[in-house]
Amino acid sequence: MSAMEVKTGKYSYYVEAKSQQIADRPRKFLEAFAAILDRSNYGLALEAYARLGSKCSRCASSCQLYMTTGDERDIPCRRSNLLLEVYRRYFTAAGQWRARLTGGFVLTDEYLDLMAEEYYRCTACRRCKMLCPLGIDHGLITHLARWLLAEVGIIPKALLVAVREQLEGVGNTSAIPVPALKDTCEFLEEEFRDIYGVDVKFPIDVEGAEYIFFPAVSDYLLEPDTLMGNAAVMHVTGGSWTIGTGNYDGINYGLFYSDRMMERIVYKMVAEARRLRAQKILVGECGHATRSAWFVPTFCGREGPQVVNFMQYTARALREGRIPLKGKVIEERVTYHDPCNIARSGRITEEPREILRAICTDFVEMFPNRTENLCCGGGGGTVSIDEIRAFRTGLMGKKKAEQIRATGAKIVVAPCANCKKQLREVCEDNGLADVQVVGLHDLLLKAIDFGVEKPAGENGS
Amino acid sequence: METLLEWARGPIFRGALAFLILGLIRHAVLTCFEIARAVHRAGDKNIPYWALAKATLQWLFPVRKIKDRLLYSITTVSFHAAILITPIFLAGHIILVERSVGIRWWAIPNHLADLLTVIAIVTAIALVIERATARDTRALSRFGDYAIPLLVALPFASGFLVMHPAINPFPYTATLLTHVMSANLLFILIPLTKLSHCVLLPTTQVISEVAWHWPPRAGSEVAVLLGKENERI
Repeated sequence: MSAMEVKTGKYSYYVEAKSQQIADRPRKFLEAFAAILDRSNYGLALEAYARLGSKCSRCASSCQLYMTTGDERDIPCRRSNLLLEVYRRYFTAAGQWRARLTGGFVLTDEYLDLMAEEYYRCTACRRCKMLCPLGIDHGLITHLARWLLAEVGIIPKALLVAVREQLEGVGNTSAIPVPALKDTCEFLEEEFRDIYGVDVKFPIDVEGAEYIFFPAVSDYLLEPDTLMGNAAVMHVTGGSWTIGTGNYDGINYGLFYSDRMMERIVYKMVAEARRLRAQKILVGECGHATRSAWFVPTFCGREGPQVVNFMQYTARALREGRIPLKGKVIEERVTYHDPCNIARSGRITEEPREILRAICTDFVEMFPNRTENLCCGGGGGTVSIDEIRAFRTGLMGKKKAEQIRATGAKIVVAPCANCKKQLREVCEDNGLADVQVVGLHDLLLKAIDFGVEKPAGENGS
Repeated sequence: METLLEWARGPIFRGALAFLILGLIRHAVLTCFEIARAVHRAGDKNIPYWALAKATLQWLFPVRKIKDRLLYSITTVSFHAAILITPIFLAGHIILVERSVGIRWWAIPNHLADLLTVIAIVTAIALVIERATARDTRALSRFGDYAIPLLVALPFASGFLVMHPAINPFPYTATLLTHVMSANLLFILIPLTKLSHCVLLPTTQVISEVAWHWPPRAGSEVAVLLGKENERI
């Protein structure tokens, strides 16, 4: 698209009023661009992409949004070209000479508004990279463009407020104070006693534990079964773990709009691990939290704690025979959704399947799957933006709904807080209300054999 | 015309070839240097080189990728195979090289070269037609995207006519001049345009990975550069 053909559009998402008052945004955008190119490694990719992009549009056939809309604006290559156009004009010698000779493209407020809209229509799921012959990572460009936009105040309010609460407020994205966290953990321990007759602990502030646990903090409000499944696994395996009251949130929305924020959130996580002298970070069922934590070596070098996703811990324990099971107790048809942030790179695809095959009689795959999975439609933080629900579940989620429907499954396992919220809304809005979306450890909890003959609270609860 | 042809085959060809070789070497060296620099700066130097090499090979020999967008894939793979094999392994070209620098290598039979040349021309035109008729590619394309495949086809078309004077409606010398000059033009354009992917393609998978491996404190340092280190969120 010619840079001169941009149209001003009102954002589909809310931004804070103060961001509208920022003056001279194009200049500030370019200053931020120069600073980021100087201090990051993004320039390496932009130089190659700007030179080589062949616009063959193979990427279009991989994008679930384009498959649904058929709208040119949703071709990944076209979207990426919006930022590459700025890079070519202002950061390459050829672009600067061309501008001197012919005028040409000038970055304007209207162009920034266009990018603001377009880069939040992409979930940065990175599926299109798989089909690009040149290996162009459009997800990387979306990621960078969002950071640049954030430096001129263009940030969806939902993401900004969450990060503010995490870094400058209560300390976590759901604003759960420590007393409430402790109450929740005590309540869940009571639930274990009442339902299963076992004394499962949620250890808090234990120094020197092997693992420090960082679930998506929203799990404490919305996903008690997932947390109980996590605690049950640690209980039966005798795992050494703790929850730190200094930081108990694995969520990192910096991944979705600013590396500056992402870095601060990762440091905060590592600081809590060091405070409690934990050896490893154990991330709960959350895709983006896991991927963010995988950046620990980036920010902290090799000295940083090792990062383990809970499914990796559980699958290993299962392989070693350390999780006693009642057998394949889940008899309904179950399918598995691969969260993009852990599956696209191929880092976590088999562990959840090993666990599900051990506990389900009727596990079926959705197609495509693993590294080629379709995004839930709420990736890139868009799931938190409630005002775009119709877009998320309609245009973005339609293919996912078809994929789920085709399996005939009544239970979709999604080991990710964001995917779960999005998939529940996708099912609600696409005639799949009878489909249940759950976490992996929710199901595993039903299959674990605690070795208790008669649950203590069986008659009373 | 003869003098012009001598110039085209002589100094212009040598200059264009030198520009091509030096330009591509420059691209390769600078890109490798930048990758090494990026890895050196990165906080996390654990790069999955084996997986990246596998992905690179899968795209250099895209047999398993053909099933996606079948027609386009067949066209583009045939196009690349034809334009790479024909000029390098054409007996006529090898003889010219042997006369000039004294080295020679295995040549393909002329009838195979004819077939590949026809494939190169047909697929180049097909690429342009596919680009113009498919809604998504049409939306993305500019003049250069249409012109480059046709420009690549020009030395093949003129070369075919040079090899088959009986069906050539144009004067032989003019056809040969077109062949040599269009090739010279391509040599110059390759390092300057997206055609440079001929040397950079093997690096792009690595680049796309390494770009995610930032220097430690990259975010904090950007904040300092922008004067935002103490700014409230």
